[in-house]
Amino acid sequence: MLSFLTNSSFVLANLEVGEHFYWQIGGLKVHGQVFLVSWFVIAILVIASLLATRNIQRIPSGIQNLMEYALDFVRELAKNQLGEKDYRPWVPFIGTLFLFIFVSNWSGALVPWKLIKLPAGELAAPTNDINTTVALALLVSLAYFYAGFSKKGLGYFAKYVQPTPILLPIAVLEDFTKPLSLSFRLFGNILADELVVAVLVLLVPLFVPLPVMLLGLFTSAIQALVFATLAGAYIHEALEGHGEEHEEH
Amino acid sequence: MFDFDATLPLMAVQFLLLMAILNVIFFKPLTKAIDERSEYIRSNEVDAKERLAKAEALAQQYERDLAESRKQYQATIAAAQSEAQAIAAQKIAEAQQLAQAQREQAQKEIGEQKQAAMTALEQQVEALSQQILNKILMGV
Repeated sequence: MLSFLTNSSFVLANLEVGEHFYWQIGGLKVHGQVFLVSWFVIAILVIASLLATRNIQRIPSGIQNLMEYALDFVRELAKNQLGEKDYRPWVPFIGTLFLFIFVSNWSGALVPWKLIKLPAGELAAPTNDINTTVALALLVSLAYFYAGFSKKGLGYFAKYVQPTPILLPIAVLEDFTKPLSLSFRLFGNILADELVVAVLVLLVPLFVPLPVMLLGLFTSAIQALVFATLAGAYIHEALEGHGEEHEEH
Repeated sequence: MFDFDATLPLMAVQFLLLMAILNVIFFKPLTKAIDERSEYIRSNEVDAKERLAKAEALAQQYERDLAESRKQYQATIAAAQSEAQAIAAQKIAEAQQLAQAQREQAQKEIGEQKQAAMTALEQQVEALSQQILNKILMGV
């Protein structure tokens, strides 16, 4: 278990976790497989958007209909979390979060990446790399700090001591637990799902993994929804001052 | 597994770029399209409601006109009928009077002729009785 946590590869038969396809950029090391799949995801989103908005019709059809449905979905999500008044400027952020995570998760579950061999590591959903989820979670933190400061200026800090200064440590702690829980929830769910599928495929290659794969699709969608919803909830909390506690998933 | 490196900031930058791109090619145009559509639907609905109200007002107007003209023609028919009845009654009365007069005339004529016939008969009876008397007296 210790080797599992430290920076080493965890090999179960031919299952690899913690193996990375390193790229060297200047003096920096990056995980190439994460970027390859994330570019694939970005390409899908950009191409779908371009196709949908190439020829906008008043009566939508085909891909425009699909993307309008997606837009409506994230708009509703943002509206539910942030309220009618100030949800509009946050739709691109929350919407992009949802779409990127959702397409990433599903690309990991649906595209047979194993067919493409890499020198090291393997292609998978970008969200099963802790770097991606922490990056997204930190962006959410920045976003809600930005929301709070742009709305109230330095008065935003008042929320830390608002009900009583006794809760100050907890309020400060919250700012750390929020990105932590966001990133680990997504990372853990996606990685665990891929591991379970991989192990089952290893043990019984036919039919048996299918229900777990379906469950994986479901979990992936739910995790994207949860991430976007919580991002909206945190931003709303920053905009509104100390809000009620939000349910953690 | 938990090896953080330059992937993290690069991924964040990449995500922000994606957000900027999607904002331009996806969120803005489609939001505009959806808003325009709902605006179009709203204005069309208002327009249609106005037209519906107008049509309903017109229908009511026609209904009223129709009722009025129905009343009018019923009144006209009633007037014509009563007039016709009056004329018919008058004609009948006239005809009855005429018939009465003619009958009276005829009865009078019959009476006169009867009278004349009676007198003629009386004269003949007189003459015959005279002749009979003469014959009987001559035989005596």
